[in-house]
Amino acid sequence: MSHTLGNAAVGRIRRGALQVGDAAHAASPTPRARKRGRGRQRLEIALLTSPAIIVFVGLVIFPVGLAAYYGFYKWQGYGPPTDWVGLGNYKIIFTDPTFQQALEHNGLIVVLSLVIQGPLAILLALLLNQKIRGRALIRVLIFVPYVISEVIVGTGFSLMLQVTGAVNDALHNIGLGFLATDWLANPNIALWTLMGIITWKYIGFAVLLMLAGLQSIPGELSEAARIDGASYWQVQRHITLPLLGPTIRIWAFLSIIGSLQLFDLVYIIWGQYISGTAGTSTMATYMALNGRLAGNYGYGSAVAVVMFLVSLVVALFYQRFVLRRDLRGAVTQGVN
Amino acid sequence: MMKKTPAAAIAALGLGVVLAAAACSSGGGSSNGGNSSSSTSSVTMTFWTNATPGPGLTFFQNAVKSFDAAHPGVTIKMQAIQNEDYDGKLQTALASNSTPDIFFQRGGGKMLAMVNANQVAPLTLSAADQANVSAAALAGETLNGKIYAIPLDQQPEGIYYSKDLFKQAGITSTPTTIPELEADVAKLKAINVAPIAVGAKDAWPAAHWYYNFALRECSQATMNAAGTTLKFTDPCWTKAGDDLAAFLKVNPFQQGFLTTAAQVGAGSSAGLVANHKAGMELMGAWDPGTISTLTPNQKPLPDLGWFPFPAVPGGQGDPSAMMGGIDGYSVSPNAPKEAFEFLEFLLTTPQQQAYATAFITLPVNKAAQSVVTDSVSVSALQALNKAGYTMQFLDTQYGQNVGNALNAAVVNLMAGKGTPAGIVSAATEAAAKG
Repeated sequence: MSHTLGNAAVGRIRRGALQVGDAAHAASPTPRARKRGRGRQRLEIALLTSPAIIVFVGLVIFPVGLAAYYGFYKWQGYGPPTDWVGLGNYKIIFTDPTFQQALEHNGLIVVLSLVIQGPLAILLALLLNQKIRGRALIRVLIFVPYVISEVIVGTGFSLMLQVTGAVNDALHNIGLGFLATDWLANPNIALWTLMGIITWKYIGFAVLLMLAGLQSIPGELSEAARIDGASYWQVQRHITLPLLGPTIRIWAFLSIIGSLQLFDLVYIIWGQYISGTAGTSTMATYMALNGRLAGNYGYGSAVAVVMFLVSLVVALFYQRFVLRRDLRGAVTQGVN
Repeated sequence: MMKKTPAAAIAALGLGVVLAAAACSSGGGSSNGGNSSSSTSSVTMTFWTNATPGPGLTFFQNAVKSFDAAHPGVTIKMQAIQNEDYDGKLQTALASNSTPDIFFQRGGGKMLAMVNANQVAPLTLSAADQANVSAAALAGETLNGKIYAIPLDQQPEGIYYSKDLFKQAGITSTPTTIPELEADVAKLKAINVAPIAVGAKDAWPAAHWYYNFALRECSQATMNAAGTTLKFTDPCWTKAGDDLAAFLKVNPFQQGFLTTAAQVGAGSSAGLVANHKAGMELMGAWDPGTISTLTPNQKPLPDLGWFPFPAVPGGQGDPSAMMGGIDGYSVSPNAPKEAFEFLEFLLTTPQQQAYATAFITLPVNKAAQSVVTDSVSVSALQALNKAGYTMQFLDTQYGQNVGNALNAAVVNLMAGKGTPAGIVSAATEAAAKG
């Protein structure tokens, strides 16, 4: 927003300067006007971006720095930290088997989210891109879970998935009683239950992105392919999917970051303590349990720093090696 | 047009700064009202309690109302915080210097940490106050000879049970030893109810089973020593874990206990007892009050009974010893003097009677104990008076950090993922983190 305003203003200044220059002395007034314009431009940029910068620095950069600082202390949160332990907290984190399990769960959630949601979302998007009856209604229904608050979803599912809950009752009633199980507490099943809920919750967002991506693909391409004798699936495989690439890559990026930072659903369904026992703990729930709940604010800050670094490294690698193709304009080259 | 843009920018900048400043200051605002106290102008105090909606919360609302009415210019702003959210929220408030003026105090190691950080005010009780509170309860809120909280009730822990279900199952007398309890578990299973309800989702209700086994296995001296050293080297700690592991072999708890909450909703462990879905629950003296809010008609459960934690053959602990908690309230060092006056007011006999009635619990004011008439509370009170000694809940006694780790380790054991030795090592590892 501020950027646009700034450019428009600069455009006006330059036009004004040229008019002055054209009038008589082309050379001399122009630099001065430019100089003044540039100073003004800087001032405007400073003024217009400062609220955002203040908020960003104050609420993002500063807390990250503060967490890094506290992470070097053994600190219970009372008064200023004094007990410097250097990298002691980090040593404990990386040797703690419960943290390793949490990291493992995060890794599984990242991979499973991509593997389950990706193909499902593309298929649903292809379906919903056809002219079928009730398309608008189906689109809304698929998107609704994404809009519902995590707390509502978590509370609802934790009630339905209790041993004596609605899901097991329904299974008994339709003669599938042998499938009834302890969906939430059995460590062999709990992570898959979580994946089911995550898929239900976030598939709408993936479908929405894919649909938008599909609609930006020109119809002439598939038309031409069909005239050349390509089947429906050949068109999807060789025309649609490559052209959907940038959308898929951006969605995968968002999904990975979201999976690494997953907290709310786990915290609501499994509570403060037992996610580790049920095998659904994540780095974020580990941080809440061992930092805030245990009152070890120094240790918790160190966990936060580790989480930040893990996410940062993954994000940088992804941008460097996967998204780079999109930045070079792979789409247009592919079409040519 | 040119002149308007910077003006708008300045306005936007100004707005941004104001918003940022407002966001930064909002956290600290709540206690400032109390800090600037004076006898002439009005005083606003913040007050945090963990009372759940129902008669308990109504009691505090009424108490605040009558205190405000008797003290013109004083306004107490009460905030009720769900019990399981309370510790984390209070810790955040303490760390950010926005401590409420009057706040619920769990005591033990948690209170010790606050005292060490000068986050809680020492209190000087008048002779009238001293007469209103039992010395034993006051001793639990005393550190280094100074009183840091006003106790309002005593909460000995024991097993609450449904007399009707026991009768249906053919159980004629309450169990006094663990083998007897195991036999009763089998009888309750035969009539298709969950023998014992436990809210392991909140971890502490599950951990209390371990704590009570430890109370029976470990001597009083061993348990007190662990409070200062935080070392659990005595073999009795592992023995208690072995006892719990052996007890788990009879599958005494309800299905899906790992994801059951303790106090919220009909599906919670208290709710299961309230609705005759489970026979027993190990809980502190607040349980009849909690259960009464979860019965179908929201009235106390008529057939509720109580018995102390059974004896463990061969243990070093006194079989009559009891574990329990004290509900106390502390005052922030920056609080106005009216904050302590409010606590003194809560100790007076009429308030204590109302408190005991509302929470269905045991008041610290002896003159108010006459209102304890229901058989459940009377039997708990009698056992408390006969107890060789009382021990605070271990997760309180040993502080938030170690207590938290103990709780989580016990849940692991109960879920079949941990070992008795793992409980001891978890406590040691936690001490390294804090």
